[in-house]
Amino acid sequence: MDKKLNVKIKPIGLLDLLAFKKLVPNRKKKFEEAPATEIKKTPPMNELAAKLHPKHQKFMITKVTDLTDSMRQFELSSDSAAYFRAGQYISVKFDIDGHKVTRPYSIMSSPKDALSGVYMLGIKKADGGYVTDYIFNNWKVGTVIETSGPEGNFYYEDMRDAKTVIAIAGGCGITPFFSMAQAIRDGIEDFNLYLIYGCKTLNESALKKELDEIAANNSRVKVICVLSNEEKDGYEHGFITADIIKKYAGDNPYSVFMCGPQVMYDFVGKEIAKLGLAKKYVRRELYGQINNIEKYPGFPKDKVGKKYKLTIHIGNNTITTEASSQESVLVAVERAKAEAPSLCRTGECGCCRSRLISGEVFIVPDTDGRRMADKKFGYVHICSSFPLSDLEVEIPVV
Amino acid sequence: MSERTYDVVVIGAGNGGLAAAATTAQKGMKTLLIEQHTLPGGYASSFVRGRFEFEPSLHELCDVGKEGEWGACGTLFKDLGLDIEWVPVPEAYRMVITDKDEKLDVTMPFGLKEYIDKMEEYVPNSRKSVTNFFDLSQEVLEAIGYLGASKGNPDKKVLTSKYSNFLKTASYSVDQVEKALKIPKKACDILNAYWCYLGTDTGKLGFTIYAAMMIKFLLLGAYIPKMRSHEISLAFEKAIRDFGGDVIYGTKVEKILVENGSVVGITTDKGEKINTKHVICNAPRHVAFGSMVEGADEIKEKANREFNARKVGGKGYVAYFGLNKTAKELGITDYSYFIYPTADNKKLYSSMFERGKNPMQAIVCLNNAIPDCSPPGTSMLTVTTLYKDGAWDDVNETNYVQAKNKIAKDIVKNIESALNIKISDAIEEFSVASPETFARYACAYDGSIYGYESETWDSLLPRLLMMKDDLYINGLRFAGGFAFRCHGYSSGYMSGNTIGLLTYKDSLEDK
Repeated sequence: MDKKLNVKIKPIGLLDLLAFKKLVPNRKKKFEEAPATEIKKTPPMNELAAKLHPKHQKFMITKVTDLTDSMRQFELSSDSAAYFRAGQYISVKFDIDGHKVTRPYSIMSSPKDALSGVYMLGIKKADGGYVTDYIFNNWKVGTVIETSGPEGNFYYEDMRDAKTVIAIAGGCGITPFFSMAQAIRDGIEDFNLYLIYGCKTLNESALKKELDEIAANNSRVKVICVLSNEEKDGYEHGFITADIIKKYAGDNPYSVFMCGPQVMYDFVGKEIAKLGLAKKYVRRELYGQINNIEKYPGFPKDKVGKKYKLTIHIGNNTITTEASSQESVLVAVERAKAEAPSLCRTGECGCCRSRLISGEVFIVPDTDGRRMADKKFGYVHICSSFPLSDLEVEIPVV
Repeated sequence: MSERTYDVVVIGAGNGGLAAAATTAQKGMKTLLIEQHTLPGGYASSFVRGRFEFEPSLHELCDVGKEGEWGACGTLFKDLGLDIEWVPVPEAYRMVITDKDEKLDVTMPFGLKEYIDKMEEYVPNSRKSVTNFFDLSQEVLEAIGYLGASKGNPDKKVLTSKYSNFLKTASYSVDQVEKALKIPKKACDILNAYWCYLGTDTGKLGFTIYAAMMIKFLLLGAYIPKMRSHEISLAFEKAIRDFGGDVIYGTKVEKILVENGSVVGITTDKGEKINTKHVICNAPRHVAFGSMVEGADEIKEKANREFNARKVGGKGYVAYFGLNKTAKELGITDYSYFIYPTADNKKLYSSMFERGKNPMQAIVCLNNAIPDCSPPGTSMLTVTTLYKDGAWDDVNETNYVQAKNKIAKDIVKNIESALNIKISDAIEEFSVASPETFARYACAYDGSIYGYESETWDSLLPRLLMMKDDLYINGLRFAGGFAFRCHGYSSGYMSGNTIGLLTYKDSLEDK
């Protein structure tokens, strides 16, 4: 540049040039004069991250209790269990005849119990359930299991939610709310939990007694049972409708949280729509993997019941297997006895994000949790991607 | 234990690592990039909550430019053939000082002339000194370009004849140079708004690095990728693969193996040993020397001293808000805001050591650059602040949520009062990236999102001049925020590129 500035930092311009020359010796001196104390390998924030978000946890089953004819409670114990937010889940790892699969289960105990190394899970036996059959046949006191750290975003968030939460539970969907009720009881959470609990009969209402006990001692927790298959005094009868929600919600603003099977979401979702709530006041827990993909609107009719060739790259290994249009790519990988990372199994968390090298998949928009750039650069969440052609995918190493 | 051999192994797929791996792969080196997380980019990523996809960290990228006037980063992206859709950021920044005695609310444009004109409007009679500031900044930029090209071996004659003003100011802080230029105080306050992007107060911050950043912003404007910074990271990843490089995720490098002062390989947590003579490390120097390097005990003491002389930069805290009203409905008119309780950045810097004080806030409303970045009827707001050293040390697993939400509540209150808006009832999605979050996903050292502080004595220039001295082990070079270019997005990419080229040069001498 032509223009010359007359910049003087110190009274004599010459000193400035000297200062420049001293930059290197000064820096050397700074280094030489500093103490040689050891560098901390794990500073506080990294230590906290490891505590709050361990990649793996190991537990021993220390107690098994039948909650109903088809629902069982498992007490998991360890030297340390990561603290969590009431409503979160853990993903449990299974090795069933060489097939490495995972399932997400909400933690039903209070976060307080985690401090003494304990989580509780409440698991309902599904008809023909591959994994729940395994659990009911194999999980006993003394069984050791491996899980993820606490995961998921289904929890009360005071920056966002109304002070009153209408919690709608169906079946084993009671578990995250049972955790929230205890967290309120234990002074960990601070909101009103009005639980509308849909059951077929009173006998099937797992944890009803325990919930009533919390409610009896804490005005912030209310429990309303809605029985669909029997009429009983003091209980609502039928399905969970907009009228029932309005009846118990009162006049103050409220958020609706839902956790239950897909059929409940289909029915209650329509009822909630009648309430005219803003989107921010309606949340639902994920419902697990889709089991009837070919019936989804938009699934190409000519692709029903097809089998395809699936080529899987994991690290240095390549595996070729068959994949069905009815099952997600993740399930096909698990069937082939290969191990893929997975947590939520509903397309949201992105843990199973994989590179689709070639082929075409079907993804239900509701379960398409991908980032925009992932779509642009050909990445899919294999838990919510269903084959529509031969596929080649690269899956992260577990 | 299986063994493979690569020409170069890049540890970490942050901005520096991605650019380094793309550069070496483009040069034809057999390149392996290893990342512990399942995604590339480090903080250059994105995440989805409900119907929103948030940008985790990037406010605006300088040095991109556009067709016909590419900046250094823009040129690099173009040379590597990266497929990224860039969107210009509308204005430089709006700065609001909330202290009742200092009250200030200014909106500054991009463009040198526009900026100086606007400054004159806000601070009459500032034109001459502010013009001098930018003339000097331009010389600094050119001089750094020259020093960079000379790879730490500048010709003293060229320096003294062509860049004498640069030499005179190079060893001083921003404040010292502004004082020498007799810039009015209010104009300094406005000029110094970007200080928090570097995280060191202007009393200690090296002038050269600030000047270079400022002038790049004003000359070329700033850009953001259409699909969040995840788009940049994936474009890099694709380039690396297209050039024949390999990328593996979910794998952590445990050791950098050294024999007789030279790199011979690395080992991973998957039990693999990989032979290589060249490692480019995106992790901080002190992490590599402190926990990864094996077989070079003689450098331990030197490395410890180096680390203890330096300060690790600010810990990141970012609150993300998905709002169920449009920016217009909410009265959020600008893209980039700095809301400072006071213009005195020394005070602000010292407040970073304590959690709970009214923090400074750098705010971005993405919709004001990319209107359709969130669904119709909604908008996104991202608020960043910084903490230092022990400010989070009392946070444990049980008070963590409370601690991070307390800050978010204060922030919302501050923003509402500073901008006279209301957002608290429009929050549909909310998330926080705390220092713990940065540590969790990106292994950030103690949650720091910056590199070593670029204080005058350890700023860009002394680091450039000492690149050879800082080479402790043959074949081990560093890229990224903790490396020689100091921190920030563009510095990260450019450092990766330079180190990639230097490593390529090293490799030519291997035989």
